[in-house]
Formats: sequence, structure tokens, C-alpha cells
Amino acid sequence: MSNVMMDIKNLHAKIGAKEILKGVNLQLEEGKVHAIMGPNGAGKSTLSKAITGHYDVEVTEGEILYKGQNIVDWEPEDRALEGIFLSFQNPVEIPGVNNAYFLRTAVNARRKHLGLPELNAAEFLREMKKLVEELGMKPEMINRSLNEGFSGGEKKRNEILQMMMLQPDLIILDEIDSGLDIDALRAVSEGINKMKDGKRSFLVITHYSRILDYIEPDYIHVLKEGRIIKTAGAELVAELEEKGYGAIEEA
Amino acid sequence: MRPVLLGELTPEEILQELGAAPTKSLAARRLSELKLPTRKSEAYRYFDIEPLMEHDWEILQAPAAIGETERQIVITDGRVTALPSGVEVQVGCSDAIDIDGNHFDPLYYLGHLLSPEVISIRFKQDAKVTLVHRFTRPGRLLAYRTALYLDANVHVQIDERYEGEEACGALILGGYDAFVARDATLTLIKDETLKEGDYTPILSHRIKVDSQAACRLHTFDFGEGAGLQLLRAELHENARIDADHLLYATDHARRGTVSQIVHIGQSSVSEQRAKNILADKARGIFDALIKVEHTGKYAKAHQNSKAILLNDGAYMASKPQLEIYIDDLEASHGSTTGQLDEAQLFYLRSRGIAKEEARKMLILAFANELIDAIGDETLRERIHASFENAYWGATNVTCMETCHGCEDLAAESAAK
Ligand SMILES: Nc1ncnc2c1ncn2[C@@H]1O[C@H](COP(=O)(O)OP(=O)(O)OP(=O)(O)O)[C@@H](O)[C@H]1O
Ligand SMILES: [Mg+2]
Repeated sequence: MSNVMMDIKNLHAKIGAKEILKGVNLQLEEGKVHAIMGPNGAGKSTLSKAITGHYDVEVTEGEILYKGQNIVDWEPEDRALEGIFLSFQNPVEIPGVNNAYFLRTAVNARRKHLGLPELNAAEFLREMKKLVEELGMKPEMINRSLNEGFSGGEKKRNEILQMMMLQPDLIILDEIDSGLDIDALRAVSEGINKMKDGKRSFLVITHYSRILDYIEPDYIHVLKEGRIIKTAGAELVAELEEKGYGAIEEA
Repeated sequence: MRPVLLGELTPEEILQELGAAPTKSLAARRLSELKLPTRKSEAYRYFDIEPLMEHDWEILQAPAAIGETERQIVITDGRVTALPSGVEVQVGCSDAIDIDGNHFDPLYYLGHLLSPEVISIRFKQDAKVTLVHRFTRPGRLLAYRTALYLDANVHVQIDERYEGEEACGALILGGYDAFVARDATLTLIKDETLKEGDYTPILSHRIKVDSQAACRLHTFDFGEGAGLQLLRAELHENARIDADHLLYATDHARRGTVSQIVHIGQSSVSEQRAKNILADKARGIFDALIKVEHTGKYAKAHQNSKAILLNDGAYMASKPQLEIYIDDLEASHGSTTGQLDEAQLFYLRSRGIAKEEARKMLILAFANELIDAIGDETLRERIHASFENAYWGATNVTCMETCHGCEDLAAESAAK
């Protein structure tokens, strides 16, 4: 087995008074693509929020070890600076915050944290424009307000753009494929595949096999009622598509 | 002089008491009708006006000495002390101006009664000028009135600044009477940052926008201290007013706007937007009435106030109101008060942006809408810097926050 990037042990978490995660155990390996599937309301997004330190989620028990350290009490920005990235299921719109200015602030915060020199406006924009083109985004997205008035697909591409600019170590993609047309799905998947470098880990939350055909997961985990109830190889996808989650037995 | 004592007098007695000219009898009559403001007066309810009205003020009468400047009109302690050379502006003084007989603010009238003469600035041609109000004497009551006349079809931008670091504890009763003639445009950009203990400005304005004329107001009130602007605007046929008010108040500030926009003519348009950011124990005031008279058919009146409270102790007194006497019109108003959006804050932080920086970005974004509405680029940048100074204590606005030309820059450097 490869090195473990993230080791989630017996994680219990609440949203408000309701326990959503009920003892999640999950190991994410370095350089591997993990997919999580599971019915609506199972707690998939909640898990991604627990990992990134979202204010809605309160961890009540268990640990999230990331590169060996328990990050449960870390501020969201510190988790991000250490290389955790979440592509949101529903990215928020932030009117008045310029997309390029936002992303440059984020990229430079990360570079500073890594001891790299900051990028000046011109260097940054050159890089950003290149990726915007690659992802098939309209160039004017660069200077629009962050996600404001973006279509569903444009928001998702913008998440991928951020991922590619930030060069994170652990990438969580929460339904990156939902609502994407074929071209967008291909562009996004190519972006993701380009990020594979044998070290980076991916956690892909999805309901569909389409994206998994492109990005070839190493492991499939099934999350149901706040627990991982099954882990298998890519062959599980076909079985799930055919039989549904009801047929999955707790392993 | 204790203003509160005037409240009991007849108009004749007021004129006599203040030694005002008989030409001011309308002002005296209106003041005695309206009475001096108390904490119960609607317009001053959240302002703590009473100590100011009860104080025994020494009234400041400063001598005048006029010099020339580049492009500025400077009014020091109520007297014109510098005039621009070569700019087509006429500045003079008169005691016969057409004052507003329907203003809601008693201090508009008190200001007129106490001003020995009115500074009148007349624009016969298009102009861009800077108008500096400078206050140098602490602890006094200073009353002076400014009249702005725009001739027909003349387009004027006035960049209004306030300098008063030395005038701590002073009370300023000021404001303009603006007459915007047919087809003319007045753009007024006011930038006033106060500190605790500074002078208290009560600026009571009256704006008459003639047929097909336009007035664009951009007011930027930042910092601490106490200050109120009171505004009554009259819109005639096809006239329009766009009034934007950005307030960023901290500490124990009491700052804000009280306004009445009156649609008199047909098809007149008013758009009023207030954005208020309140920190610490600051109190923001936005008490704004839009009134559409029965003569104001087909009027369009839109008004909106948004406030962000950054601390538990901050308070926003927001009262947008519509008073409408006809059916044929388009009108809307709204008011919201809230905190910074948690989901937005989390999004920024989840990308590695520190909490304080993320808060700053969101506050700047909220303010930006009104700052970006300034057409003049140099002024826009200056107000940006002024806001940053007030918020951050220093300005570090970078190119990408304010301009949208960076792509060209990147393209250039990529080509090299
Ligand atoms: N802010 C919230 N307040 C209250 N309940 C919430 C909140 N967010 C999520 N929940 C609840 O938590 C449970 C898990 O939600 P979660 O979003 O994690 O599901 P999911 O597995 O991502 O589902 P989907 O496939 O529909 O995205 C659901 O019952 C949901 O209603
Ligand atoms: Mg979800």
C-alpha cells in the first residue's frame, strides 16, 4: 500500500443537533483517485465540509489526520494553505470581488506559505489566461465578479481553474460533474487528469459513472447513512449502476 | 447663543435676536413653525441633537482673505479664501437668495439666519472643480451657506472635500442651495472622513432640479464622530436624481443621511442607494422619504438601503419611505441589515485567504458598487484610497481591485 495522505478515523459530526457522520473510517492514499458514491443525504458533502473546516459542521468524535497531523481544530485557511482543496457542490456567488484579484490573493497566500516568491499581476494573469483557454472558459470570466451570474457549468469550470492555479495536494471534488454538458465534462476531466502526478490524492464525490470513465478511480467507497459501508475497485461502479445502493451489504 | 432658546420666539423676535436682515423673514417664520430639533424630531432622532442645541455657542465670524489656487475653491471658516484662476466660475456673495419654503429641517433655516451672506457659485460653462471646506477654529458654532447655480445645459462636477482637523468640538451648520437649470447636470462627490472629537457637521441641503436636468450625488462618509446630512430635492418634469450614499462608521460614530426627494414634475426619476457598514458601537442613520406629488405622473422612484453590522454593538436606523399621491408610477423601496455572509467568508478562507483579509475583501466588495459608480477615474481611485484608509488605516489598493486593464498589461508582458 502507498503512503496515506489522509486518515479519517471514526469520524462523528453534527450539523445543528443532527448527527450526520456516524463513524466514518477512510484512508486516502497518496497519488490515488478515490471516489465516493452514495444516496442523496448520505453525508457526502458533510464529509467534505468536515475535512475543510466548514462552520456548519461540528466534529464530535474521531480524527482527521492529514499528512500525519490531526486537523480537526484547524482554521479553514490553514487547511487550504497546507494543500487541501474543495471544489464546492454549489459554489457561492460573491458580487464585487473580482475573480482575478481573488484568485491572485489566494495563489500568493499559498505561495508565501510554501516559501515561494509571489506572482506579480502580469505573471499571474498570463498563467490564468492560459488555463481559462484550456478549460474553454470565456476570457471575460477573468474580470467578472467571482461566480456572479455564472451558469452552473461556468461555476464548475471556475472551481477547476482555481484547483489548477492553487496546485493543492489533496483535491476533493463534490459533484464536479453535475450539470455539465459533454464538452464541459471533458474539459474538466482533462484538467483533473493533468493534476495527477503520482503524489496528489483525489476524493471524487459523484452520482454518475460518466466522469469516472474519464478519471479512472483506484477505489470506490460507498457512503450511506453517515458511514462508509463498502470499499472496492472501479468494478463496483457497474454493479452500483445496475443494482442501486439498496443492494450493497455492509462489508 | 443657545439655539434652544430661539424655539420660544416669534419670527420677529428671532430676526432681532440674531440681528438678521429682514430679507430673512421667511427663514425666521419657518424656524419658528418647525421649532428647534429635539430628540423627538423625526430627522434627528438617532443623532443626539439636544446637547448641541443646549450648548451656549460662540458664533464664529472669520475675516476673509482671498488668494488664487490651481483648480480649487477654498472656503475657510465660512469665507471664500481661494478661487481657481482661469476656470469659468463666478463666486460672489449675496444676501438675497431664493430659500426653500418647504424644507423639513429647522437647522436649514437656522443656518440661513445665522449666515451673514451666502457664498454663491455660478457656473455658466461646463466645469470640473474641487470645493474645499476648511475649518480651523475649535469649539465655535460656524454657520455659512453656499449656493450653486448651474445655467441651462451646463455640466458640472464638484469634488467636495472637508478639512477640519483643527476645529475640534465645533458645530458646523452648512450646506448648499443648488439650482440646476434646465438640461444641466450637477455631479457632486462628497468625501468626508471624521475622527472622534472633530467638528460636527450638520449639512442641510436643498436641490432644485429643473426640467430635464440631472443631479448625481455621491456621498462618502467615513470614520468616527458625529455628522448628518439633510437633503431636500425637488424634481421637475423629466428631471432625475441619482443619490448614492456610502457610510462606513466606527467607534461611537453617529453618522448618516436624512432626505426627502419630492417628485413634482411628470416623468421624473429618482434612484437612491445607501450602503452602510457599521463597526464597533457606531450608529448609522438613513431616513429617506420619496414623495410623489399628484403632479408627478409617470414618475420612477427607487430606493434601497443595505447595512452590514460588523459588531454586536453597531446599530442601523434605516427608514426608507414612499409617500405617493398618484397611481401612474413605478416605485420600489427596500432595506436590509445583516452581517457579512458566512458562506462567502468560508469560500474565501477555504482558498487559503486569511480571515481578516477575507473580511476586508467582502467589505470592499460591498462598498465597491457605490465607489465604482463614480464616473471620473481619478476621483474613483481617490475615494477608494480614502475608504481603504478609513478601513485599514492605510491604503494598499492594488491595480486589480480598481481597474480592469490588467489583461492588457499581461498581454504586453507576455509578448516580450
Ligand atoms: N445546513 C444544514 N442544516 C441542516 N441540515 C443539513 C444542512 N446541511 C446538510 N444537512 C442535512 O445533512 C444530511 C446530509 O447532507 P449532505 O449534504 O452531506 O448529503 P449528500 O450526501 O452530499 O447528498 P447529495 O447527494 O444530495 O449532495 C442531509 O439530511 C441534509 O438534509
Ligand atoms: Mg452533496
